[in-house]
Amino acid sequence: MKILIVDDSSTMRRIIINTLSRIGYTDVVEGDNGKSGLERLGQGGVEMIITDWNMPEMDGLEFVKTVRVQNPVIPILMVTTNAAKEDIVEALQAGVNNYVVKPFTPETLKEKIESLLG
Amino acid sequence: MDQSEIDTLLAGGTKSPKKPKISAPVKDPVPVPPVLAAEPHAEPKADGSGHVISELDTVTAVTERESNKVMDQLDQIGQLVNRQQLLITEIMAHEGAQAPDIQKVVHEVMSAGKEIQDKVFEAMDLMQFQDITRQKLERILHHLRQIHDYIVDLLGTGLKSESQRPSISHTIAQTGTTPDENKAHADAVIEAFKSKKKG
Repeated sequence: MKILIVDDSSTMRRIIINTLSRIGYTDVVEGDNGKSGLERLGQGGVEMIITDWNMPEMDGLEFVKTVRVQNPVIPILMVTTNAAKEDIVEALQAGVNNYVVKPFTPETLKEKIESLLG
Repeated sequence: MDQSEIDTLLAGGTKSPKKPKISAPVKDPVPVPPVLAAEPHAEPKADGSGHVISELDTVTAVTERESNKVMDQLDQIGQLVNRQQLLITEIMAHEGAQAPDIQKVVHEVMSAGKEIQDKVFEAMDLMQFQDITRQKLERILHHLRQIHDYIVDLLGTGLKSESQRPSISHTIAQTGTTPDENKAHADAVIEAFKSKKKG
């Protein structure tokens, strides 16, 4: 399964990639903002998206909304520092399937991914 | 971050120390270490404003780069442990290593290796603090930019801060540093949203 990770922090992308590899997902493509995420998505093969919210050029919320116009079914997990209730609701309304607040444990990421794929 | 970078940052973030008494203009008065010169936003604006903003931008860029160096080291430790485990497995296959005492020691070494690997992964996960700190700094920068742009508007001079910035969280008050401290709260909101949608 190919997973697209969109986050402007290279450190955070590495942390997510490490966590994914530990739970058996090694086919990963990366984007550092919404725009590059859309480009990667356009190249095809992506079956799941993990995206940050706060990014330059195109933020995660705009990215999710754009993806949902083109693809209403691909599972999207938002991983962000935004912890306010209204933020979570706004993300869900935009089309996010599940939501993880940073910092997270590998167990939580695993649980969320499995719930999206299950 | 090495001492020269810290010194440069400290020098840039506070008032300049006593200027040398030189009458002729100096072509390159402050030698910028290449490591800082390569960072985005490292240079203050031409009008001298936004200096603190550019310094903070540099701090976030440098800490991200340094965090990646730590991640590289952790990766290497992980790879070395993997290699060690493979070598031990090979040793265990040898005839001479079948004695119970040797097998016991070898198992203990394997177990210690697994513990090291787990600790390496834990340390990698803890590096999330870098991104969280960066985003908190981004929020401070956002407010500084607003003040800066307000003053520019008021005085009708200077340059406004650049527009291509990461979006920032609405609040940092709820952003913690303990892994999963917001999980229950987020899950409850998701559950309530889904129930409402169904109903």
